[in-house]
Amino acid sequence: AAEAGRAPGPPDGGWGWVVVFGAFVSIGFAYAFPKGLAIFFKEIQDFFGTSYSEIAWVSSIMLATTYGAGPISSILVNRYGSRPVVMFGGLLCGVGMISAAFCTSILQLYICVGFITGFGLALNLQPSVIIIGKYFLKRRPIANGLAMAGSPVMLCTLAPLNQFLFDNFGWRGSFLILGAILLNCCVAGALFRPIGAGTALVKTQVTEEGKDALKGKITEDGKEMSSALNVPIENKTEDEGEKDCFEKINQYLDFSLFKHRGFLIYLIGNVLMFLGFFAPIVFLAPYAKHTGIDEYSAAFLLSILAIVDMVARPTTGIVANSKWVRPRIQYFFSFAIAFNGACHLLCPLASSYAGLVVYSSFFGLAFGMVCAMLFETLMDLVGAARFTSAVGLVTIAECCTILLGPPIGGILIDTFGDYKYMFIKCGAVMVLAGTFLFIMNYYNYRMLAKEEKERKTKEEDPKSVRTENEGRKNWNKDSTQDGPELEPLREEGEGVKKEMNGT
Amino acid sequence: LIIGVSGTALQKNVSVGSPTKVELTCKLDENSHLKNPQVTWKRGSETISHTSKTQNSWTIQLTISDNSQLGSYSCILKGEVEVSATFHLQVPQIEGKEKPVITYEGDLAVMVCKTEYAPMAWNWYMTNGTELVAINPSSDTNKFRIKKQSANVDRLEILKLTKEDSGVYWCEAAFRLGKSKRRFELKVLSIMAPLKPFIAVVAEVVILVTTIALYEVYSKRKGEEGEREFDQIEQL
Repeated sequence: AAEAGRAPGPPDGGWGWVVVFGAFVSIGFAYAFPKGLAIFFKEIQDFFGTSYSEIAWVSSIMLATTYGAGPISSILVNRYGSRPVVMFGGLLCGVGMISAAFCTSILQLYICVGFITGFGLALNLQPSVIIIGKYFLKRRPIANGLAMAGSPVMLCTLAPLNQFLFDNFGWRGSFLILGAILLNCCVAGALFRPIGAGTALVKTQVTEEGKDALKGKITEDGKEMSSALNVPIENKTEDEGEKDCFEKINQYLDFSLFKHRGFLIYLIGNVLMFLGFFAPIVFLAPYAKHTGIDEYSAAFLLSILAIVDMVARPTTGIVANSKWVRPRIQYFFSFAIAFNGACHLLCPLASSYAGLVVYSSFFGLAFGMVCAMLFETLMDLVGAARFTSAVGLVTIAECCTILLGPPIGGILIDTFGDYKYMFIKCGAVMVLAGTFLFIMNYYNYRMLAKEEKERKTKEEDPKSVRTENEGRKNWNKDSTQDGPELEPLREEGEGVKKEMNGT
Repeated sequence: LIIGVSGTALQKNVSVGSPTKVELTCKLDENSHLKNPQVTWKRGSETISHTSKTQNSWTIQLTISDNSQLGSYSCILKGEVEVSATFHLQVPQIEGKEKPVITYEGDLAVMVCKTEYAPMAWNWYMTNGTELVAINPSSDTNKFRIKKQSANVDRLEILKLTKEDSGVYWCEAAFRLGKSKRRFELKVLSIMAPLKPFIAVVAEVVILVTTIALYEVYSKRKGEEGEREFDQIEQL
C-alpha cells in the first residue's frame, strides 16, 4: 500500500533530459537573442537617422523587460504551469519580431522589439529554469549546467546567422525571419510536459470529466508539490473566494520569501554581483581595439570567451553535482564569483594580445561557472516548491543593477579615459559579492544544521498532531527552512518514513 | 622602427581637404639597429631636400596649394639595411557602407556618406548604363531627398522603391583640392524573398509542435491502459 500511495519524486532522468534540451533552446534564445541583435543596430541607426544611444535603448528596453517581467512570469507559471507560458512566450516573441519588420519609426521598434519580444523572452526564461527544478533533484546541477549552456551555444549560432540574414535580406527581412525562428521557442515549450505530485489524482479526474489530458495536468502542476508527502492538494479556484486579498497574492507570488534567510542572502549577494557582471563583456572588444588590436582579433576574443563558456557550464554542472561539492554548493558559487572578480582585477595587467586571450579564457571559464550555478543555488536555498516565486522576485531585483552595470562602466571609462578603472570596479564588486555570499552562507549552513537538530528532537513527539495541522504553507515553511536540498538522498528516505507514519 | 608624424605604420594616409601646410617627419627609434643612416625624401622619382634635421628625425615641410601637390611622399633611410615610410597625401576619403544596401519594394533606401573634414559640396549620382546621372532632389521631391545631418555627413533617401531603382549609386564630396567618391550598390527585393524562408521555418515549427503533441497523446494512452490495471489492483 505504501508504494502505490507514494507519488513519485522528481524523475531525475527519462523525459527530463528532453526537457533539458527544451530549456537549452529556450534559455539560449532568452539570453543570446538580445546580444545577437547588435549586428543590426548600425544599419537601423542609419536608416532612421538616430544617434547611437537611441538605438541602444532598444537593447536596454528588451533587457529590462526580460528581467523586469520576471514576477509576472512567476505568477503565470504558478497558475498555469510552465508549458503554456513558454508557448505563449514563443508566440509573443514571434509576433514582436514580425511586426518589428514593418516598423516605420524608432518608437515602434522600442515597442515591438523592446517590449513585446522582451516580454516574450521573459515568459521563456523563467519557466524553463523552473521546470528543471521539477524534473530533477539528484542530478539537478548537471541539468542546470546543461540547460544554461544554451546561452553561449545560441550566441555562437545566432551571431553568424544574423550576419548572413542581414547580408542577404537587409534588416527588415532578417527581423521577419528571426520572428519565425523565435517561434521555435513554442517547440521547446511543447516539450515541457507538466509534472507534479498530483499526477495520480489527475488521471482519474481526466477519465471522469473527459477533459483534455494536458489541461488536467496543467492545473495540477500549478500546485508545486514535488515531495512525497500525501498532503491534500488544495484547489485554488475553490478557495479563492474564502481567502483574503493578501493571501491570494501570496498564492501567486510568495512574498513570504522575504523572511527566508537563504533567499535574502542570495538576493543581496546577486544584486551586488550583477553590478559588475556584464560590463566587462560589453567593453571587452572596445578595450581590445583601444589597445591597438584590430577588429577581427577583438571579435575573436569574444568567440574564445563563448567557446570556453560553452564547455564550462556543463562541466561546472557535473562538478557541482559531485558528492563533495553538492552539500557545499553555496561555497562553490561564492568562489566562482570571487574568481570572476579576480580575473577582472588582473585584466589591466594584460597588455598584449596574448595576455588578453588568457584573460578571455579565464573570464569565459568564470562566467560559465557562475551562470551554470546561478539558478541551481537559488533552488538549493529555497527548494523547488517556492522556486517559482523566488526566481521572479530575484530577477526583478537584479533588473536594476544589470541595467546600471554597463552604463556605470561607460561613465568610468569616459571620465578617466582609461578602461582599467572599469575593470577594477567590476572586479572589486564581484570579489565583495563573493566574499559576502561566502560568509553569509557559512552562517546560513550553521543555522540550518542547528534547526535540523531541533527538528529531530521534536520528531520524537507524536506525529499525527503535526500531519493534521499541516496546511500547505506550514509544510512549505518547514521543509524549506530545513533546506531539504542539502541532503537530497536523506530527504527521500525521510519522505517514505513520513508516508508510512501518516497512513 | 620608423614612426611617422602621428602613427606607427610604415604607410600613412594624410587627409588634406583644403590648401594647407603639411609637415612630415620620419623619426628613428633609439634602439634601432640602424645607426647614422643616409636619409632621402622622395616623391616618385624626384628628391626633396630636408627642411630640418635633428639627431634622429628628418622633416620636410610642404605647402599644398593645389591638386598636383597631392601624392605619395616617402622617406628612405639607408644604412646596413634600408627602411622606408610612405605618406599618402590625399583628399579625405568617404566612409560608407561597403556591402550592398538591401531594401524592399515600396520601402525607403538610405545611403549615408561621412568624411573626416567637411567638404565644400556633396553630390549624388546614379548610373544609367555607363553614364553618371546627377540626382537633383528638387526636381523629383517624391523620389529623392537629401538631408544634411551635419557638415561632414550627408544622407540620400530614395523613396517608393521599385525594382528598377536597383543599381549603383555614387556619392561625391568636393574639396578645394579635389573630389573623392564612394560607390554604393542598391538592391531592391520583393517581399517574396524573405517570405520563403519565413514560411519554411513556420512550417517546421508547426510540424514539430504537432509531432510532439501527438507523441504525448500516444504515449499517455499507452500509459493509461497500463495504469488502469494498476489502479484496479490498488483498490483491492
